[in-house]
Amino acid sequence: MTATESDSATSRLPPKPRPSTFAVGTTVLAIVVTIITAIDVNFSLADGIRNLANKNSVIEGLLDPDWGQLWSRRSREAFIETFQLAVLGTALGAPVALVLALWSTRFGNPNFWLRGMVRTFNNVNRAIPDLLWALIWVSAVGIGNLPGLLALFFFTLAVTTKLTGDTLEAVDRGPIEAADASGATTTEMLRTAVVPQILPSYSSFVLYNFELNLRASAVIGLVGAGGLGQRIDFFRNRGEWSELWGLVVMFFLVVFLVERLSVSLRRRLV
Amino acid sequence: MIRFENASVTYPGGVSAMKNLDIEIDDGEFVVIVGLSGAGKSTMIRAVNGLVPLTSGSLEVNGHDVPDLDRAGMRDLRGEIGMIFQEFNLVDRTSVLKNVLMGRLSQVPTWRTLIGRYPAADVEIAAQALERVEILDKARVRASDLSGGQRQRVGIARALAQEPKVILADEPVASLDPPTSHVVMRYLQTISRDLGITTIVNLHFLDLATAYADRIIGLRNGELVFDGPGSACDETVFERIYGRSLTADDTMAKQAAL
Repeated sequence: MTATESDSATSRLPPKPRPSTFAVGTTVLAIVVTIITAIDVNFSLADGIRNLANKNSVIEGLLDPDWGQLWSRRSREAFIETFQLAVLGTALGAPVALVLALWSTRFGNPNFWLRGMVRTFNNVNRAIPDLLWALIWVSAVGIGNLPGLLALFFFTLAVTTKLTGDTLEAVDRGPIEAADASGATTTEMLRTAVVPQILPSYSSFVLYNFELNLRASAVIGLVGAGGLGQRIDFFRNRGEWSELWGLVVMFFLVVFLVERLSVSLRRRLV
Repeated sequence: MIRFENASVTYPGGVSAMKNLDIEIDDGEFVVIVGLSGAGKSTMIRAVNGLVPLTSGSLEVNGHDVPDLDRAGMRDLRGEIGMIFQEFNLVDRTSVLKNVLMGRLSQVPTWRTLIGRYPAADVEIAAQALERVEILDKARVRASDLSGGQRQRVGIARALAQEPKVILADEPVASLDPPTSHVVMRYLQTISRDLGITTIVNLHFLDLATAYADRIIGLRNGELVFDGPGSACDETVFERIYGRSLTADDTMAKQAAL
């Protein structure tokens, strides 16, 4: 016997819910805003292509990068400096970020006012981009490595605190209750009941943050915060585009390798 | 000794979970609290170690006046009271031994906990606790790799590692199958007898309660409705506690047979 259409179970399904006004509204809004801004900034793909086609020393440099940069002593030094900045910024920022993340949770910091202060600091810190941190510290302590290190330190706090904080919300509360019931201090409870639960995710976030710091440390040099960026800025000012692109290719290779390594490490962690 | 006097707990939102309770529990007693869910069993047990504060009345545990304790005093009290949970509350990612060492937290300096280096004497206590529940060979295994019954034995070892005067067990067998439940109950009973530890267990299966308890306390809607030895627990008492006569749902043996 075949089911007629009227007695199929499909026909007895409850009616489809209407799409929510909120979802439709925000989608329409996003499209409208994009169109309006595109018109307002006079963005035109055709202009861009025409400019690229003109004689352009920057593009010519790209087509003929100076491979010699790979063996240049000063470029290599700039590289090592960038790498050092990224390593140190991550190493100093990551432990502080863990503590800040723990102290921004209700169970890790029962004091309402202290928790509010930590959360406010995290929010303000997150609102400041890495390049702005670099500018601030260059103004405060002068050109060199130190402002770069400080900028990456605060950038690490912003990223790792946020990601770790989100993980902490999903932590199993059972062990917390067990630690509290055994007479542990809050610090002991966090160390024994919470940290083991989030350690794999946290390690993964720190590695990811190291990748971000490596990239950021190339950019912050543009404002005088040390590392590769300062060398890039040097070539840019002299209009030596082949050398600059050689440097960028070299940077690309290093970032690519570090990222592959980090991705495979992180896969093992979680 | 544990003494509730006119003790009440009202939760924010107005739910009255414990009403004017007067109970005295002597050192070394093995007491089972029975009642429907929502009768106030968990509230009563958690009041003993201050996880749930009283809203009125007084409560004395081992000479501590529980409602008056400051944070440090509360930690001292909790250090003397081991607790066992329905869902075991182990840290799955760490080893059995590290879970049991959690029972030493009230005695170990915080800085030692931070670097994860426990004094040898505390490791010895933890190992002895694992030996008592016959699971020492699993000490280096991750807690997540154990069966439910083994996990609860680790939970018992963690409570024992506190060298407690009192053990509280909140529905310790509710997540376990019947044979495993009996194993866990026997461990609790033996430990209480051998070491003279006052033990308070919440159960909702009546046959388990009468099989192991020296004394049964029946709660209903936050009020004491029965207090006496397991042998005095007859049909009329069950009706008082459950508001109806005994059915297969109330005993583990009959439920397992279904």
